[in-house]
Amino acid sequence: MTTTQRLSRVNAINWNRLQDDKDLEVWNRLTSNFWLPEKVPLSNDIQSWNTLTQQEKQLTIRVFTGLTLLDTIQSSVGAPVLMEDARTPHEEAVYTNIAFMESVHARSYSSIFSTLCATRDVDDAFRWSEENPTLQAKSELILERYRSDDPLMRKVASVFLESFLFYSGFYLPMYWSSHAKLTNTADLIRLIIRDEAVHGYYIGYKFQQALAEATPERQQEVKDYAYELLLELYDNEVRYTESLYDEVGLSEDVKKFLHYNANKALMNLGYEPLFPSSVTDVDPTIMAALSPSANENHDFFSGSGSSYVIGKAIATEDDDWAF
Amino acid sequence: METTNLVTKNLAEAKRPASGATETRTLDYHALNAMLNLYGANGELQLDKDREAARQYFLQHVNQNTVFFHSLEEKLDYLVEESYYEAKVLDQYSFAFVKALFEQAYAYKFRFPSFLGAFKYYTSYTLKTFDGKRYLERYEDRVCMVALTLARGDEALAKSLVDEIISGRFQPATPTFLNCGKQQRGELVSCFLLRIEDNMESIGRSINSALQLSKRGGGVAFLLTNIRESGAPIKRIENQSSGIIPIMKLLEDAFSYANQLGARQGAGAVYLNAHHPDILSFLDTKRENADEKIRIKTLSLGVTIPDITFELAKRNDDMYLFSPYDVERVYGVPFGDISVTEKYHEMVADARIRKQKINARAFFQTLAELQFESGYPYIMFEDTVNRANPIAGRINMSNLCSEILQVNTPTEYDDDLGYREMGQDISCNLGSMNIAKVMDAGNIGTSVEIAIRGLTAVSEMSNLSSVPSIAEGNAKSRAIGLGQMNLHGYLAREHIYYGSEEGLDFTNLYFYCVAFHALRASNRLAIENNNTFAGFEDSKYATGEFFDKYLEQEWLPRTEKVRGLFERSGIELPTQQDWQELKASVMEHGLYNRNLQAVPPTGSISYINHSTSSIHPVAARIEIRKEGKLGRVYYPAPFLNEENFDYFQDAYEIGPEKIIDTYAEASKHVDQGLSLTLFFPDTATTRDINKAQIYAWRKGIKTLYYIRLRQSALEGTEIEGCVSCTL
Repeated sequence: MTTTQRLSRVNAINWNRLQDDKDLEVWNRLTSNFWLPEKVPLSNDIQSWNTLTQQEKQLTIRVFTGLTLLDTIQSSVGAPVLMEDARTPHEEAVYTNIAFMESVHARSYSSIFSTLCATRDVDDAFRWSEENPTLQAKSELILERYRSDDPLMRKVASVFLESFLFYSGFYLPMYWSSHAKLTNTADLIRLIIRDEAVHGYYIGYKFQQALAEATPERQQEVKDYAYELLLELYDNEVRYTESLYDEVGLSEDVKKFLHYNANKALMNLGYEPLFPSSVTDVDPTIMAALSPSANENHDFFSGSGSSYVIGKAIATEDDDWAF
Repeated sequence: METTNLVTKNLAEAKRPASGATETRTLDYHALNAMLNLYGANGELQLDKDREAARQYFLQHVNQNTVFFHSLEEKLDYLVEESYYEAKVLDQYSFAFVKALFEQAYAYKFRFPSFLGAFKYYTSYTLKTFDGKRYLERYEDRVCMVALTLARGDEALAKSLVDEIISGRFQPATPTFLNCGKQQRGELVSCFLLRIEDNMESIGRSINSALQLSKRGGGVAFLLTNIRESGAPIKRIENQSSGIIPIMKLLEDAFSYANQLGARQGAGAVYLNAHHPDILSFLDTKRENADEKIRIKTLSLGVTIPDITFELAKRNDDMYLFSPYDVERVYGVPFGDISVTEKYHEMVADARIRKQKINARAFFQTLAELQFESGYPYIMFEDTVNRANPIAGRINMSNLCSEILQVNTPTEYDDDLGYREMGQDISCNLGSMNIAKVMDAGNIGTSVEIAIRGLTAVSEMSNLSSVPSIAEGNAKSRAIGLGQMNLHGYLAREHIYYGSEEGLDFTNLYFYCVAFHALRASNRLAIENNNTFAGFEDSKYATGEFFDKYLEQEWLPRTEKVRGLFERSGIELPTQQDWQELKASVMEHGLYNRNLQAVPPTGSISYINHSTSSIHPVAARIEIRKEGKLGRVYYPAPFLNEENFDYFQDAYEIGPEKIIDTYAEASKHVDQGLSLTLFFPDTATTRDINKAQIYAWRKGIKTLYYIRLRQSALEGTEIEGCVSCTL
C-alpha cells in the first residue's frame, strides 16, 4: 500500500514529542471524559420503565441490542484494525482508548438491561438481533471493509459506523427523555454520544490527512466508494428503521435523523452533505436533547447528569495560601 | 452519474410520507419548547416559541384534561367528599369568605410566562384525580388552598397571603406549596437535620428516621462526625469498628426505598468533620472507579472544615485526624460538639487520643479532585458559621442544600430504642421572595412580614411525631428560613452586571432591609403570643450584642444607581433610629423564631415563580433542565430579551470571585446560610477550585454547595445551530 506508512517497529511512546497536536488534544478529551455505567443511577428509571407498553419495551430492548452489536464490532474489530494503520504512536494510543470505551458502551447496555428488564425479554432480543437480516447486513457491510486491505476505506467504514449507524438507535432514548421517560438511561446514552461524537470526528480527521497524500485519481476513487457505501448502508438502515419503528409510528422522524447524521458523517470525512436541509429537519426536541455540552442543570432529586469530568490535579502553592 | 440518481430516488422516498407535514402541522409543546435551544433562521433567540409552547400546553393538554365544575361550591363539596381536600381547612372560614378569596385570586389573571413553569406546576404540584389522569386544580386554586391552610382561620392573613403568593412576591417551598389543603399528602416541611451518636441504638434510629422523613417529604442530612472510625475498638477490643462507610450504604438504601407517594425521591446528605480519621475513605466513595461495595451514588456528601485546617495548609503542615471514640472519652462530649480549632494542639499533645496524619494541602487537593468528578462534597466553614451564630450552642452540620445552620443537642436511647434523654434535632421550612417583584411593589415590610407569618404557621402546624427529637427541636425553636430569588433577573433587567460594584451595593442593602423586617415581624409575633423561642435569654439577641453591627455604622447606598432603585420603588432603608427601637423591643419582648433566614437554591419553585434561582447568576441564558419527571426541558432566563442580553452573563463567564463577593454581601445579614454553587470551565484545575475555596473562606462565606463544571464541545463535534453549544 502506498497511501499510509505503517509503523514498522515499536518505539517507546513519547508524548512530549508530538507529530500531530490533535492526538494529544483528543487523548486529553477522551481521558477526561472517562466514565463507567455505574455512575448513572439507572434504577431511578424503573418506575418510568414500567409505564411503557409491552411493545415499547420490546422496541427499546431491541434498539439497545442493536447498539450493543455495533459497539462490540467497533471495540473488537474496528479500533484494532485502525491501530494497524496508525500514522503516529499517539494515534495508536488514542485507538486503544477508543477500543476500551466502546467496550464500556457495550457493557452499559447490559447494565440497562439488568436494571430494567426481565432476563427472558433480553435473551429474546439478543436472539432477535442475531436473526434480524438488516442488522446482520449492516454489520456485514462494515466488517467487509474492515477486513479489506484498504486503510482509507476502513476509516470511511469506521466513521460511518460512529457518526451514522448508531443514530437510528440513539433516536429512541432521546425521544423517551424528551417525553419525560427513562431520563437516567438517556443520561447514559448521552455520555455514549459524547464519546462517539469525538471518535467519529477524530477518525474522520485522520482519514482526511491520509487522503490528502493520495493521487487525485485515488481520491476520486475513494470518494465514489464512500458515497456508494453510504448509500448501501442508508438503504439498509431505512429498512432496519422501518422494521423497528413502524409499529410506534416514528419511522419518518427517525429517517430525518438518519439524513442529518449521514450528512454529519460525510462532513467528518471532509465531503459535502448528501441530503438537502428539507429532509434533515429533525424534531427539535431530539436535536436539543443531543447537545453534548454540559450546560444541563440538575440536583439531587434528579440524577447525575452527563457533565462531570475527571479533572486536572495541580498542587496549590504558597502564594495561594497567603492570608 | 449513478450516485445522483440514487440520491434523488432516496429523497423521493424519504419525502413521500412526510410531505407537507412539516410546514403546516402545529408543533407540539415539547417541540416548541426545544426550539429555545436552537437559533432561528436569522440567528435570533426564539423566545416567542417558548411562550407559544406554554400556550399550546394549555390548549393541547391542560384544558382538555381538567375536570370541569359548574361552581366553586360544587367543586369544593366534591373535593371534600371525595377525600381530595381536607375539610378542616375550609371549615375555619365561611363559604362567602372562601368564595371572595377565590375571586380575589382569579381577578389577578395569572398566566405562566414560561413553558417550564406551567409544565412543572401541572406535573408536580397541582391536585390530580387519584388515577393521576386528570387535573382538579388550577394555579389559583392551589394558591388559595395554601393561603387558607396557613392562615388558620385568620381572614385578613389569608387575603394577604393570596396577594403575596399570586403576585409572585412570596413563594412557599415545594412541600408546603405542594401539600397544603390536600387530604392525601406529605408533610409541609422541606428539610431535616439529625445527629447520629456513636452507638448502635442511635444508628438504628437514624435509619428509621431516614425512612420516616423521606416518606413525608423533603431531604434529610445526618451528622457522621461522632461515629468512631474504622478500626476503632468496640467494648475495648481493638480493630472492631467498620467505620462510617457501611452506615452511609444503609442510609443510601433507605432513601432510595422511600419516596413521597412517588412525588419525589428521598434524598439524603451526610456531613463529616475534616479531622475525622475516615475522611479520605468518605471522599473516595464518590470516585469514578470506586468499588461497588463502597461506592455511594445518590447520597450527598458534606465536609465541615475548621479554620485550623486552613492554617495548617498555609504552613504546608500535616493535619492530624482524631479518633472520635477517644475524643468522647477524654472530653466527655461527642466529637461534633467540640471546636477542633480550639482544641487542636491540646488533642495533638494528648497521648490518650489516637491520631493519624495526612498532608493538609493534599487533603484540599483531594477535595477538589472529587468535586471535579462528582460535584461533591459540600463544604461548611465551621468556625465562620459558629462565629456568626447568635444562638447559644454549637453548629456542627448543615443540610442537603447547605443553607440550614442551626444548633442541635444529642439524644440518648434506651436498649429498646426508647428515649432516655430527648435531644433537639433540626427541621426547617422554607419559602422564598422574588426580589424583582418585591422591589416593584415597594412594600417590603409587609411582604416580609406576611412571609414570616406564613412560614411560622408551617412550623406550628407541622406534625413531626415520627421523629420525636425533631418534633422537640421544632416546638422549641419555631425555626424558619426565608429565602430570596431572582437577584440576577432583577439586576439584568435594571442593566446592572452581576457582581459589579452596583450589584454588590444592591445585594447588601436589599438583604439589610429583609433582615430588619424579618426580625421586626418575629418580634411582633413574640409580643402577640407573649412567648419567645426556647433559649432566647442565652442568645446575642437578648444581650443586644447582635445589633451592634447595625448601630455602629450607617448602612447607606454606595452608588447613585442603587440609591435611585430604592427611591423609585419607594422602599425606605431602616435608619439607626429604627434599629435602636427594634433592639429595645427585642430585648424586652424577645423573638418568636430562633432562626429566620436561609437562602435555598430554589430549583422547581423558581421556575413556577418565573425567577432566576436563588441569588445565583443564571447557569445559561437558556437553561437545560433535566428532571426525572420532566425529561429535558428548556428555560429562558426571566426578563431576557435581545436588549438586555449582555447583562445575562452566565455563571461560567462571571466566574467564582464575583459570585463569592455577592454572597459575602448577603451573608452579613442572613442568620443561617446561603446555598452557593461555584462554576468552572473544564479547563480549570484542582488548584483553581482550591483558590476559590480559600477566597470564599476569607470573605466570610459560610458554606459552599455544588461545584459545577462546563465542558464545551470539542471543535468539530457541536450540534448545528444549537444555542447551548455556542452561548
